[in-house]
Amino acid sequence: MLPRVLVCGEIEYVKDDFEEMFRGIAEIVHLVSDSRSHFLSSFGPDGPYEGTVALYRRNTSSAVIGKFDAPLIHALADTSKVRWIAQSSSGYDKIDVQACKERGILVSNTPRANEDATATTALYLMISCLRRFSMAERSLRSGTWKTPCDAAQTYDVTGRTLGIFGLGGIGLRFAHLAHAFPMRIIYFSRRKAESVPDWCEYVSSLEELCKQADVLSLHVPLNQSTAGIIGENEIRTLRRGSVLLNTSRGRIVDQEAMIRALEDGHLSSVGLDVYPDEPCIDPRLLTFPQCTLLPHIGGVSAESSRAKELQALGNLKAFVLGGIGENIVPELKTGIGNSTML
Amino acid sequence: MSSRQPRILICGNLVWAHEEARQFFDGLADLVVMDSPNRADFLVGLKSGGKYDQIAGIYRHNTSADRIGVFDQEIIDALAETGTVKWIAHNGAGYDQIDVLRCANKGDFHILHPLGLPSMRFHGLTSNLGISVSNTPGAVDDATATTALYLVISCLRNYAWAEQSLRQGTFKSGLDPGRAHDVTGRTLGILGLGGIGLRLAHLVHAFPMRVVYYSRNKSANAPEWCEYIDSLEGLFHLVGEKEIRTMKKGSIIVNTARGKVVDEEAMIRALEDGHLSSVGLDVYPNEPLVNPRLLEFPQNVLLPHMGTENQDSQRHMEVRALTNLRDFLRDGQGNDLIPELRSKL
Repeated sequence: MLPRVLVCGEIEYVKDDFEEMFRGIAEIVHLVSDSRSHFLSSFGPDGPYEGTVALYRRNTSSAVIGKFDAPLIHALADTSKVRWIAQSSSGYDKIDVQACKERGILVSNTPRANEDATATTALYLMISCLRRFSMAERSLRSGTWKTPCDAAQTYDVTGRTLGIFGLGGIGLRFAHLAHAFPMRIIYFSRRKAESVPDWCEYVSSLEELCKQADVLSLHVPLNQSTAGIIGENEIRTLRRGSVLLNTSRGRIVDQEAMIRALEDGHLSSVGLDVYPDEPCIDPRLLTFPQCTLLPHIGGVSAESSRAKELQALGNLKAFVLGGIGENIVPELKTGIGNSTML
Repeated sequence: MSSRQPRILICGNLVWAHEEARQFFDGLADLVVMDSPNRADFLVGLKSGGKYDQIAGIYRHNTSADRIGVFDQEIIDALAETGTVKWIAHNGAGYDQIDVLRCANKGDFHILHPLGLPSMRFHGLTSNLGISVSNTPGAVDDATATTALYLVISCLRNYAWAEQSLRQGTFKSGLDPGRAHDVTGRTLGILGLGGIGLRLAHLVHAFPMRVVYYSRNKSANAPEWCEYIDSLEGLFHLVGEKEIRTMKKGSIIVNTARGKVVDEEAMIRALEDGHLSSVGLDVYPNEPLVNPRLLEFPQNVLLPHMGTENQDSQRHMEVRALTNLRDFLRDGQGNDLIPELRSKL
């Protein structure tokens, strides 16, 4: 009997190729559970997911079976042969990777598939905030042409300083697009990046980044050390009139501090694609017309969606075939080699 | 004999470059602000003994049209009649609010230099009977190209639609992610590879997009990755039914030039049947009126002529226009004489 791969969440773009990819390699089963309890009790003998060795996971599955928190991970480890979870997005904060580490389950994400799309979103948010275009559009659609718009509140992009927090794939791609104007690019990262262009200036701390940036853009993943890392201190270290962009995860920012800074004008505007409690939006954010607010579509395009699916499925296939796939998340990279083989 | 300096009329918004204005014209000209509430008052002021008597040159901004209307034949004739007005330094790249052919017709063109010597270093010629007009090319390029880039990205990715959805409380439900497309790898067709078009080409090349262009003349400044194509003719309604239907289904039109370049009815028909997936506009045929039918398409990105609306660019443009005016007073000619008024030796 072929090993099984369980798909938790829809596959939309790679439908035809997908069957082909796994022919003779694995049997594809789809999520039929309508609750977490059903899900967790279905990996045993005669269960619908019996024999599953790897999961394809999309965040949409949370609606039915909840997040992949520690209890779920432990239950999977106890009742199933699942040893690989292929997350089909670059963000994997809905998976408790520490629990996975403890139980020898590897997790992959799709780090590059939506880099271009997400960096493009950051660029859009930046232009929209500096030029107050979003506000101008709303003014047009409500019949007031550009009357509420004041050129004294808007700026060119060229020549301003973009501060990038986290120079990974998305941060670097955004830097590249911004450099075309050019903007001055400064960054702070866990480690000074190895091979970056010389126009990417490293600064030694988050505080220094905030001191010098006209626009601060967040490109770090959400984890225990980054939750709330952009707080009152960091926001007040930014110069008055600065712009904050977030295309990463809402909880990286202390939302109360951010809103206070919008209220007193310390932040001239914010460009957000992510929020602490999506899809709920703090209604106060809607009271600042100069902000640009997108509903977490940063990495969403037909092309990137297809690329993500292909990448995640590729990771699964490599695992099934050879015991190891690519794009293992950083937290688990050092754990390879111990009891993760089929 | 009058020992008064020549006078410069500030006709429309001058917001950022007051200091430059003082410095440029110190010892050269007196500044007079046009404060007429309507055209009738303006025309009276131009007459001998009126408040705008003895004007040599005008700094003009489109906002003056709110009070006195555009510089049409009536105003140009009145300016010519003063016998003193010789230069209109327009603040803006587009000068369609000035009847420039009327300015040209107001006299023959000769070589002119304040000291009577031939001005061999200038490309164009200045009329001593007509009125010269300068604009501010270059100063608008970055801001307008950035606006066009914004429209391109927003149309391709449906950002405006998504934000509307969020603000209406539906987050992103109702959006079709399959309609959103990456910028990278798509083809941008640029109609007119002047300063703005070239700057836009540069910005999209960072992704990269493939860039093809049509221009009156093949551009000498175009990088090799800008591909020239030869088609299109006429000037008014340059982009009409035929051109729109020649585009592939699902294409996008972005317009940061002038609304009348596109046949709006043809464009709306193409939105209705989906031939155009969306349009990104910063300009309209009858601003500030916007055809309400455009608003019916949530995927359209519609800006209210924001192309150069930011303080950095506005300042650059004011300084450029004032520089043209100062150079005219001091040297007999400003650098940015518009193409229509340049003639061959």
